[in-house]
Amino acid sequence: MTHAERERAYRALSLARALDERMWRLARAGRAHFAVPCSGHEAIGVGYAMAMRPGVDWLAPHYRDLAALLVLGMPPRDVMLCFFSRPSDPNAAGRQPYAHFGSRKLHVLSQQGPQPNHASHGVGCAWGSKLLGDGSVTVIAFGDGGAQKGEAHESMNVAAIHKLPCVFVVHRNGWTQSVKRSDQYATETLVARAAGYGIPGIAVDGMDVEAMHAAASEAIERARAGDGPTLIDAACVRFMPNTSNDDDSRYRDRAEVDAQRASGDPLLRARALVAADFAARVDAENTALAEDAAEWAEAQPLGDPATVMEHAYA
Amino acid sequence: MRELTVIEAVREALGEEMARDERVIVLGEDVGKLGGVFRATEGLFDRFGAARVIDMPMAETVIAGVSVGLAMRGMRPVAEIQFADFIHASMDHLVGEAAKIRWRTGGDWSCPMVLRTAYGGGFRGGPYHSQSVEAYYAHAPGLKVVAPSTPADAKGLLIAAIRDPDPVLVLEHKRTYRAIRGHVPEGDYVVPIGRAAVAREGRDVTVLAWGMMLHESLAAAETLASEGIDAEVIDLRTLAPLDRETILASLAKTRRLCVVHEDTITMGLGAELCALAAEADVLDMPPVRVAMPDIPGIPVDDNLEDAVLPNRATIRSALVRLVARERSRSSGAANRAAYDPGIPQASSVIEVALPEEHTRLAVDALVQAARAFPRFNATFAWTGIVEHADVVIDLDLGPSSPANGRGTITLIDYGPAGSDLAIPFMRPGQTAAVRIGAVRDGRAYVACAVDHRAVDGADVGRFLATFKSAVESRSLRHPELVDNGVR
Repeated sequence: MTHAERERAYRALSLARALDERMWRLARAGRAHFAVPCSGHEAIGVGYAMAMRPGVDWLAPHYRDLAALLVLGMPPRDVMLCFFSRPSDPNAAGRQPYAHFGSRKLHVLSQQGPQPNHASHGVGCAWGSKLLGDGSVTVIAFGDGGAQKGEAHESMNVAAIHKLPCVFVVHRNGWTQSVKRSDQYATETLVARAAGYGIPGIAVDGMDVEAMHAAASEAIERARAGDGPTLIDAACVRFMPNTSNDDDSRYRDRAEVDAQRASGDPLLRARALVAADFAARVDAENTALAEDAAEWAEAQPLGDPATVMEHAYA
Repeated sequence: MRELTVIEAVREALGEEMARDERVIVLGEDVGKLGGVFRATEGLFDRFGAARVIDMPMAETVIAGVSVGLAMRGMRPVAEIQFADFIHASMDHLVGEAAKIRWRTGGDWSCPMVLRTAYGGGFRGGPYHSQSVEAYYAHAPGLKVVAPSTPADAKGLLIAAIRDPDPVLVLEHKRTYRAIRGHVPEGDYVVPIGRAAVAREGRDVTVLAWGMMLHESLAAAETLASEGIDAEVIDLRTLAPLDRETILASLAKTRRLCVVHEDTITMGLGAELCALAAEADVLDMPPVRVAMPDIPGIPVDDNLEDAVLPNRATIRSALVRLVARERSRSSGAANRAAYDPGIPQASSVIEVALPEEHTRLAVDALVQAARAFPRFNATFAWTGIVEHADVVIDLDLGPSSPANGRGTITLIDYGPAGSDLAIPFMRPGQTAAVRIGAVRDGRAYVACAVDHRAVDGADVGRFLATFKSAVESRSLRHPELVDNGVR
């Protein structure tokens, strides 16, 4: 990464964290229905979003991909509209809870509840790129929980068969809500699965933004060159409970998580890549941005019941 | 006029749309060189190439899933699921995704995909190659479901589906593919989604059907025409959203409904169609459904499959029964009961020619009428109406010879001392009582009272007409029955 890229990455990591913490506090205070924290995952999304061509490439995001959306251009106020589920939310129009991202303008495919149904949507999107010959690449991200479903297998298989221009990224945090890694799959990582589809696999430290950016850049360019998909196994730690409805003290040791956070926090590691005063200034700006966005979004009107039938059909 | 089979019409629609719009692609199992197991895509691979006619792995989830993604991206995918029985692996993408994408994004995204599948039984396919699946998908708002039955509709509805801005499931009955042949317009031909067609006009009963059952219903309607039953058969064509206007217009005319479908009966589309009619209050009597019994699968054995699939004979007998049933309401312009000359205008009183001495004759006539109308010789109980096997007349000839209350129907006759006309009182446990007034100039008024929980008003008129006819014919033919004996 160039110096400017490191600063840009830091800015996004810091903003994601500021929004994340703000949303967590507001949800806990009962001011919103639902928070889905992304802390620990931010460097993965910043890595691929910065490797993507803005306005050209497409993202079928993970629900912890707030940082990637910020890089792609989603303003903090739109994030907070999504968080407060307001009808003016460009992601889900007050019809879906927070973290069901989507924006045609930003080339982010609309997200759903069942994981990882967007895997095949991303493959279809990539197939569209190939048929249209527009040179665009689709990044498809899901968790290691989602990776266990037949949907993920079928999607990677089809993308491999047709050498579709896409990249699969597994945000591998080792947990599917409360179910630990060894109850989800029998291997340590998922990268070996790539060989099963005849595609390259890359194992990467997903909390190292530079390593993640390098891996994503390599995979995206391979896809753009017509050489087909790549599977990236991006290891990370979920610092927070699964959602604001989860109590992770029932199934994991918080002290262990705190220790992993102290040593591996992608934001702290990225801070070492930029000047201290730059980081401090950016953090302060982002805290203010997050507060402004939350206050503004919360004040936006709730839905009009007369509109609930709208958009069922064209 | 050019005629095609249904499968040829499907093939023509796909070819024409692929030629018209480069965004249209076909994907599915065996759709490439084989041309599909039913040959719906025959010739497309050679004409348009492997990039647009795509053989997919045997993985129905991803066939639907990539179609969603292709459609979101602006392509016009036409996916084929080889047999409707395999579609359930696609359901998450059809119901959970395609149907919701426009709504869940406030119109930011759309999903103009088409998924075609072959459904229906009648060809010994067994439980996994014969199912009708429409009820699952017609239940999903946001998804459109069409089910063409004729070659012209197979072409026109498929073209409409491909051009539709929303996801459309096209259900093609596999038995129509080669069995049904008909005129198909050449070139650009669109049949609008959401409009049913009156396949046969009639005035007595409305039959709602689609797929192969449409053709069976039409055949049943033809055999009934010679018997004076004029059935209107409506080809629904689109199952979601329903064409309520055409359905209700027909029911307003016939006021009788029969729904025919191959799908199992409980929670089938027939239930929704009957509810539609009931809520609109357009029926004179309960609707009838002719459908598959609630069995987990369609059996492959010849006898067993034939026994469970609706067909022209079972439809015919359902229609005969439905039309024979008397109307249960007195409203409506087409109410025949209002014009039935067999029913006197004041249906609870009738004037009868009667000799002065007539008790034995009246008892015999009442027995005859009660046997013809068992509801008049019954007991109403909250658990149901019990019709008695024997007719026991409870005869009330006045204060000196009152009824004993042990009969199944009461006959009151006070003779010349009585009133010309009076209301008969029913005894507990009976559903009817008849009173003969005093005979004046060889004629008397006969009144009838009934328990209306058991007996309909129009039937009182028929019952009295039967009584009158029995009395009058027997008094002429059997003068020996006229006596004053039983007192």
